[in-house]
Amino acid sequence: MRPPRHPWLWTVIATLITAVFLLPVYWMVKTSLTRPDRILRPDPQWAPSPVTGENYSTALGYEGLTRALFNSLVISCGVVALTLLLGVPLAYALARIRMRGSGTMVLALLVAQLPPAIVLAAPLFILERRAGLTGTYLGLIAADTTLTLPFTVIVLRPVMRSMSPELEEAALVDGCGLPGVLLRVVLPLMVPGVVAAAGLSFLIGWGEFLFGLTLGEGPDVQPVTVLLNAFIGQHGTSWGALMATATLISIPVVCVFAVFQRFIVGGLTAGSVRG
Amino acid sequence: MNQPSARRRRTGYLFCLPGMAFLALFLAYPLLYNVWTSVHDVDLGQLLGGAERFNGLDNYRTVADDPAFWHSVRLSLVFTLGSLLLQFTIGFALALLFARPFPFNGLLRSLLLVAWLLPPVVSGTLFRWMLDAESGAYNALFQAVGLSGLSHDWLTDPSTSMAGVVFANVWVGVPFNMLLLLVGLHTIDPELHEAAAIDGASAGQRFRHITLPLMRPVSVTVLLLGLLYTFKVFDLVFVMTGGGPVDATRVLSLYVYEVFFSFFRFGQGAAAGLLLLVVPLLAGVWYVRRLRREDEAPAGGAV
Repeated sequence: MRPPRHPWLWTVIATLITAVFLLPVYWMVKTSLTRPDRILRPDPQWAPSPVTGENYSTALGYEGLTRALFNSLVISCGVVALTLLLGVPLAYALARIRMRGSGTMVLALLVAQLPPAIVLAAPLFILERRAGLTGTYLGLIAADTTLTLPFTVIVLRPVMRSMSPELEEAALVDGCGLPGVLLRVVLPLMVPGVVAAAGLSFLIGWGEFLFGLTLGEGPDVQPVTVLLNAFIGQHGTSWGALMATATLISIPVVCVFAVFQRFIVGGLTAGSVRG
Repeated sequence: MNQPSARRRRTGYLFCLPGMAFLALFLAYPLLYNVWTSVHDVDLGQLLGGAERFNGLDNYRTVADDPAFWHSVRLSLVFTLGSLLLQFTIGFALALLFARPFPFNGLLRSLLLVAWLLPPVVSGTLFRWMLDAESGAYNALFQAVGLSGLSHDWLTDPSTSMAGVVFANVWVGVPFNMLLLLVGLHTIDPELHEAAAIDGASAGQRFRHITLPLMRPVSVTVLLLGLLYTFKVFDLVFVMTGGGPVDATRVLSLYVYEVFFSFFRFGQGAAAGLLLLVVPLLAGVWYVRRLRREDEAPAGGAV
């Protein structure tokens, strides 16, 4: 390969494009730190001066915001737990064990990613309501897991396939049962894949809105995404507090991504390009 | 292998059972139930009393006779095609840029991905604010660079609100398009470009005759994933405009939501929702068949 010419020039161009592209994110954080009386002006300031935490205290003073943040945390952790609990053994069996129906199950998992959430939300509303699951964490966690589980298995299966089977066979010869092999031999080897799946499931659970809106009756279990939308109606003009809330919701997303970045990007491309 | 294979297979089925049973109960059954609902007369009262009446294709007829339904179908087409075209083109251009080696390439790429990762409700709120008439950053930006003709109350004017939601959706979709197209670009053998350059091919010629044809399989994948994603977008539009002003952005998913959760006409909501189900299913089936065909080909062109 030829040595690239002017590498720094390309860095400058890419930086400028990235900056323009990410302007909305900057504007969100900037607005959240600007004094409320300086936000709604025809000539907006490009940097907050003075920087203030006022919008954050207003936002956290809204009834229910801390509760909603807590709810979202419970729901997304529940989604991660349920997804891994159901998905890891499923992916392992589909990757490693010759069974009749494996192909059909893989196809079913691919198809399961297709229905739009709204088509599912409608019947789930009726069915969960009859089963008494609306307005419960479980009802929301289960609904969100229909989004994460198929995806997780599709991402994890090739990871498990690419591992050499010799270690597992050795463990089996030593008299370890298949569940033991999965727990003690396979899982430790595929930590990156599982971490990617867990990270993505968390992000999906944290950002989910529609199921929260339709199945999360009342403030007890309502996720913070639903509350943010409600705020737009109620406090439509207090952009400072709205942007503070939006920033608060984004922080865990950015943290999860920063920590698990490599795994997540890998899992993402693996899962979607060769689904 | 030491373990008898029958026992191994039994364990395999046991491993599959919880996951598949869950999906049967919370995904397959609700979807089938939706089909059932679509041929019954179900409203909120009957839902609780359990006295649904079979009414054949009545719900479908009601939906087909509703001009608002066809309006939303058209809006979905505009929203989907506009988003796909723009996010693919911009994503491709960015992928070409980031395919070059330069310092901080990886860091900048990761930063771009943040746009894709933000919860759609956050992006929706964000763009409501960015496109705001009086103090929105974009209007201020237009004025600052002398394009004050572009300053506009984008979301509350019915003739521009669709452009506003497409803009936001493209912003969300570009990083993902870029990422997948970049993976595709990396699979192209650089020697092809070098050989062509030695033969005197210009950069434009190399792009047209080497990059574009070799990127075709990845491009189809990216566009199809974009179609599947965009066609079902709900939260972003719901938060930005709620379908308004005057129905100008009431795409199909919002129409279904409204019929179902605002008017509680469950049967008609289910009937309309099936269209939202059929399009992705057809696209998905076509895609899986296409992948299979490529798998059988001796030199798979797909990533």
